[in-house]
Amino acid sequence: MIGTFGHISLISALILNIYLLLSYSLSSLKKNINFRKTKHLNFLISLFIFLAFIFLLWSFAISDFSNTAVYQNSHSQKPLFYKISGSWGNHEGSMVLFILILSFFSSFFSFSRINENLKYLTIFFQNILILFFLVFLIFTSNPFDIISPTPKEGLGLNPILQDPLLSIHPPFLYVGYVGFSIIFSFALAGLYLQEFSMLWSKQASFWIIIAWTFLTIGIGLGSIWAYYELGWGGFWFWDPVENASLVPWLASTALLHSNIASMKTEKFLSWTALLAIVTFTTSLLGTFLVRSGILNSVHAFANDPDRGLYILAAIMIITFFAFLIFILKFPKDRAPNILVFWSRGSFILINNCFMIFFLVVVMVGTLYPIFLDAIFDKSISVGPNYYNALLAPFVIVLLWFMAHGPLLDWYKFNKLSLIKIIFKISFLTLLSTLIVIFYFKDISLLFVLGVFFSLYLIISVLFDVFKQKVISKNLARIVSHFGFGILIFSIFVNSFLSKEIDVPIKVGQTIKRDTIEIQFKNIVKSQEQNFEEIIGNFLVKDGTKSFELSPSLRKYFQPSQVTSETSIKNTILGDYYLAINLSEFDGDKIMIRFYHKPLMMWIWTSIILIILGGFIRIFKKQDAI
Amino acid sequence: MQYKAKIIILSLLLILIFLFFYKVLLTEKTYHPRSMIGKSVPEFSIENFKDANRKITNQDLSAKETIILNFWASWCVPCRVEHPMLLELKKKNKLFLIGINFKDSASNAKKFLNELGDPFDSIGSDPKGEVAIHFGVYGIPETYVIKKNKIVFRHIGPLNQDVVNKIVSLK
Repeated sequence: MIGTFGHISLISALILNIYLLLSYSLSSLKKNINFRKTKHLNFLISLFIFLAFIFLLWSFAISDFSNTAVYQNSHSQKPLFYKISGSWGNHEGSMVLFILILSFFSSFFSFSRINENLKYLTIFFQNILILFFLVFLIFTSNPFDIISPTPKEGLGLNPILQDPLLSIHPPFLYVGYVGFSIIFSFALAGLYLQEFSMLWSKQASFWIIIAWTFLTIGIGLGSIWAYYELGWGGFWFWDPVENASLVPWLASTALLHSNIASMKTEKFLSWTALLAIVTFTTSLLGTFLVRSGILNSVHAFANDPDRGLYILAAIMIITFFAFLIFILKFPKDRAPNILVFWSRGSFILINNCFMIFFLVVVMVGTLYPIFLDAIFDKSISVGPNYYNALLAPFVIVLLWFMAHGPLLDWYKFNKLSLIKIIFKISFLTLLSTLIVIFYFKDISLLFVLGVFFSLYLIISVLFDVFKQKVISKNLARIVSHFGFGILIFSIFVNSFLSKEIDVPIKVGQTIKRDTIEIQFKNIVKSQEQNFEEIIGNFLVKDGTKSFELSPSLRKYFQPSQVTSETSIKNTILGDYYLAINLSEFDGDKIMIRFYHKPLMMWIWTSIILIILGGFIRIFKKQDAI
Repeated sequence: MQYKAKIIILSLLLILIFLFFYKVLLTEKTYHPRSMIGKSVPEFSIENFKDANRKITNQDLSAKETIILNFWASWCVPCRVEHPMLLELKKKNKLFLIGINFKDSASNAKKFLNELGDPFDSIGSDPKGEVAIHFGVYGIPETYVIKKNKIVFRHIGPLNQDVVNKIVSLK
């Protein structure tokens, strides 16, 4: 019954959407567009999609197993929170969420204070996107399909996926991914009406920063989940699904900066327009790769090639028309195309080139194995070595440009003051690098360079703070660049100085490696309702510090699955991370994996700072929409 | 002219990308259920669908040289599709079939068998799907070939003629 209401809501949204598109097209031919009508139809579409989403949540909340999606992905014994989050943890439900966010952005955009022609053409383009995905949802992935007779119990009760972070990170990622749709539609409208100008950039900046901030939160949450839950002792694995979210992030970071430059000079307009299109196209590509099952072979069993084909064709059509509009209508740079090298503008352009380079590296690393597999039937895996070798040296150079960009003027170049500043920053950075090297006792070239240039960025941001008369004006940039400096610094220290101990150990035995001592005290077995747990109690000493860690193995009965629960001691300078291997017990001996991960808390803090920078910008810009 | 060249390049590029991903989509991705192969049958004891006085246990799976274990339910459409294959395995190839009725009601299951025929020598009832979990079932239908209490073959999804031939060759 609920499913029927949901289905009716979706169909109503589709009918209204087609009506909006037709009436807008016909009235624009007559040059007599009824903006009020378009606005109301747009709201109604959002309302019906919202209702469908609520009906879906309801079906999951009350475990209505007559609904195929609920049957396949839920279970009556699940806690309510996971029943609800399970509604977007599957293909059909996540597509409803995707369309809901598309339509919400469309509705929110109708409140922005911009010229009506531009605003409603944006909403028109946004509704074309909604049409593509609504048709896809209703005809290939109906979330309200019915099973008859109704099964008594659902299939989905996977304990690994019952994690609060994993449950909430898709909505954040989607606000990011889908948020770029409104910028895409706005860019197409701007190009089509020949209103792609510095004013456009000012009006777009609010939407760009919202989508970018949410995408960053989504990626950050996914990374924290991987670190705490997967037990692999890392925060980024260059996994294709992770990369699928990193590619739009890189494109949007380039867009964010190029758009800032576009607000100051017309030279960046065509580049900004191109990036607005590329960012959303890569978001769509990411969605396609993950949703079609191409990237995730374990889920390939549920994969339906027809769905993949539809979404692929839709992406190609959307991309083709977007680029066609760009080619035919893109703004010719009106100002003479000369940039002073030592100016903020050219440094932003260089930053953009780096972002695009990183984007290509990540995309090739992700798609090349798929390409080889499909065309030559060969399977290879591209691992961290590829990414580290190609990215690390360039990240170092990027840091140098990032450090100087904000210190330069937009147009003119003051050689003397720049040389003075470079000298001061270099001196302070050298001193602090020496302290860091002395503390960590590592002198490998890449490590020293990484530490030097990330500290260089951090110190240059502090200089930037002192240079400002009014800090609040550039607070967003200061906070996020400072965060980025700390992020890269922590990643370098973390990846060069992490320690790993992988040994079999007996109860009562003590193992010593360098400064670390691990004592296996005892083993405790406990029986819980849904699992049996074997807990190992360990005493870990590092120098004068000593603490207990208790990792465990859980054997779940329903479904039968063994999981390794890590035990982590967080300290300001690093995490001590202990996990029991999933391999079989050998008498009283078990295999343990111990990691010392320096500066993990710094990594999380720096991501929070970058996100905070985004929020500062969002709230600052609120008056500008 | 310049626009034309750009549009042609754009179109060619997109067609190439489309063809590439289309090929990728069509590449068959079979999930290899190796995990249970070679392992002993997990322990279980469940209600016997045909004889209420006797339970079905893992001991029953070593009753014959080769045993086919099939997870099915009346509400499962692919089970309906594969049913003639199970009947063929029973009648033509004289194999010993045990069915596990998965998350189903007895009356619906009986209706299903009355309508389509009963290939099973015995049927266990698994109303909560517990046995299926012990066997690591991904989704029904799923079929296991058991020899001397060890799983030697497993097929996820509905049976087809190729799989039936493979099962017969294992006899």
